[in-house]
Amino acid sequence: MKRYIDNAADWLSVINVAVLLVFLVVPIVVMIGMSFDGREYMGGFPPSQFSVRWYVSFFSDAYYLRGLSTSLLLAVIATVVSTTAGVSAALALDRYSGPGKQALESLFISPLVVPAVVIGFALLLFFAMIGISDGFTRLVGGHIIITFPYTVRTTLAGLVGIRKTLTEAAMSLGANERQAFWDVTFPLARTGIVAGAVFAFAFSMDDVAVSLFLTSPDSYTLPVAMVSMMRTNFDLTIAAAAVVLMIFTFTLILILDWTIGLDRLIGKGVFRS
Amino acid sequence: MRVLELSHATKRYGAFVAVEDVSFTVEKGQILSLLGPSGCGKTTTLRLISGFEDANEGAVLFSGVDMKGRRPYERNVGLLFQDYALFPHMTVAENVSYGLRRRNFDKGKIPVRVAEMLALVKLKGFDDRRPNQLSGGQQQRVALARALATNPEVVLLDEPLSALDAKLRHELRFELKAILSAVNATTIVVTHDQEEAMSLGDSVIVMSAGKIMQQGAPTEIYADPKTRFVAEFIGRSNWFTGELRNSTNGVAELKAAGGIRMFVRMPESSPNLGAFDVCVRPERIRIGADIQSSGDAPMNQMRGTIRDVAHLGADLHLLVEIPGGQLLTVTEKYIGQSFERAGQEVSITFFPQDCVVVPSGS
Repeated sequence: MKRYIDNAADWLSVINVAVLLVFLVVPIVVMIGMSFDGREYMGGFPPSQFSVRWYVSFFSDAYYLRGLSTSLLLAVIATVVSTTAGVSAALALDRYSGPGKQALESLFISPLVVPAVVIGFALLLFFAMIGISDGFTRLVGGHIIITFPYTVRTTLAGLVGIRKTLTEAAMSLGANERQAFWDVTFPLARTGIVAGAVFAFAFSMDDVAVSLFLTSPDSYTLPVAMVSMMRTNFDLTIAAAAVVLMIFTFTLILILDWTIGLDRLIGKGVFRS
Repeated sequence: MRVLELSHATKRYGAFVAVEDVSFTVEKGQILSLLGPSGCGKTTTLRLISGFEDANEGAVLFSGVDMKGRRPYERNVGLLFQDYALFPHMTVAENVSYGLRRRNFDKGKIPVRVAEMLALVKLKGFDDRRPNQLSGGQQQRVALARALATNPEVVLLDEPLSALDAKLRHELRFELKAILSAVNATTIVVTHDQEEAMSLGDSVIVMSAGKIMQQGAPTEIYADPKTRFVAEFIGRSNWFTGELRNSTNGVAELKAAGGIRMFVRMPESSPNLGAFDVCVRPERIRIGADIQSSGDAPMNQMRGTIRDVAHLGADLHLLVEIPGGQLLTVTEKYIGQSFERAGQEVSITFFPQDCVVVPSGS
């Protein structure tokens, strides 16, 4: 028999979830709606006319397109490098059990705690000091640093519970260290590794704060382009750009699902026996 | 044929000596048990043989070939891990065939070999199951099939039965032995469980603090321990400490604490008379009926009071207080006889040849 207070708590949690959903979904719905607005001026929601003019505007604007292509290339490079480095670092951390392990782990995830503007500014000074002035190189460096903590963390989480005896069993059965890694450790940690790569891609596509400091006139990301357009000539092309950004991320996940299958890619859950 | 030999193997981790001057040999098809408490060096010895560690001094030889510097995958060793270490993302068949694939076994013959191994461990038709769909005993048998599939020179079993419950452990013990002898595997069993060591091993090595304390057949180790450590580690025992005197015809007299005098068997190495510990196994002590000593062979006889009786199904465990206050453990087979109750006065007897003398404090 539920008491009055339990019923109240149930209702509160339902309301809580509903409010959260509204806050998550409504802005996106409004933005998608507005990106198809046919009006000349910035009107209220919902739009009274429908058109794809803001998309035409986006795809005919060299400034946005350059930002989009830079963002995509940057995200791919940052994801590959940061996943490789993150997996290596996590493996080393997982096997190492001497002094300084905790300190190293904290160091690897420190970009998460340092404010992004601080990282951006510090990197700008650092790159100037070592004489790197190319915008794209600076962006690559910055994006590797901000995505690295995610790949380390998720890989470490994936490695937890892979018992040392599994690797030893593989080696006693004739696998060398490299084969044991690819046959046993990698498939079992795959969930964590892929999650890290997806995070890295998403955060690289999304970053504004660090990128703002590192861009140059001919190397800037799509979010940076959106911010600067918002200041100079604010129109609904930005909404279209935002939808395009979203579509790219969704498409990535869909392509992964169609080609290899998400189940196979991230493994059927986490194996613990 | 001598398949495995350890020759004066020593392994140090910094200042800590894990294995010290260990030497033994194992013949083809023989099962050797390495028995000892945790930290005695038995697992390190196993890792020296499997190649996960290299000895600082001494050598590990497979059929006469020094294995120094060879990685585990460069040796042909079958390992059964305590936690089985089955690959959770592979099916039973994939697990069993893993070693075959990695050791470049003829691809066409792999399915035949896998079926053969699964039949050997009585898991026909389990090919497509995942390890987490199997019971503990089944997982253990898959692990055994996987370890034996590549026909290893040496099979190493690390605490093979300790993860199973008591009932299953008894069943699998005989099955394990039958499987190992069916493939004529040269085997080393590492365990802290004396029943496991004695039931599986043709020969038993007792280790302590990195050193070999004693090696011999299970019956020999049990009946004739050379040190107090070995006697206490294998089976239960009652202890008397005292001075040995008047050794005649292989029988000496022990003057123990509490005014107890008893006759004991002199060890073959005939130590000097002096301070010794004497071990009497609980099942060698008899209660009740006075047994007349035959001829002139002396017999130990004492009065005692039953302090406690525990009926454990097939066995009776009795606690008997003897003059001087010492408590002796006595076990009897329970075959429906009437037995003594606590508080009852009894006489206890045991033969001098059942009294094993070891150096005091050894």
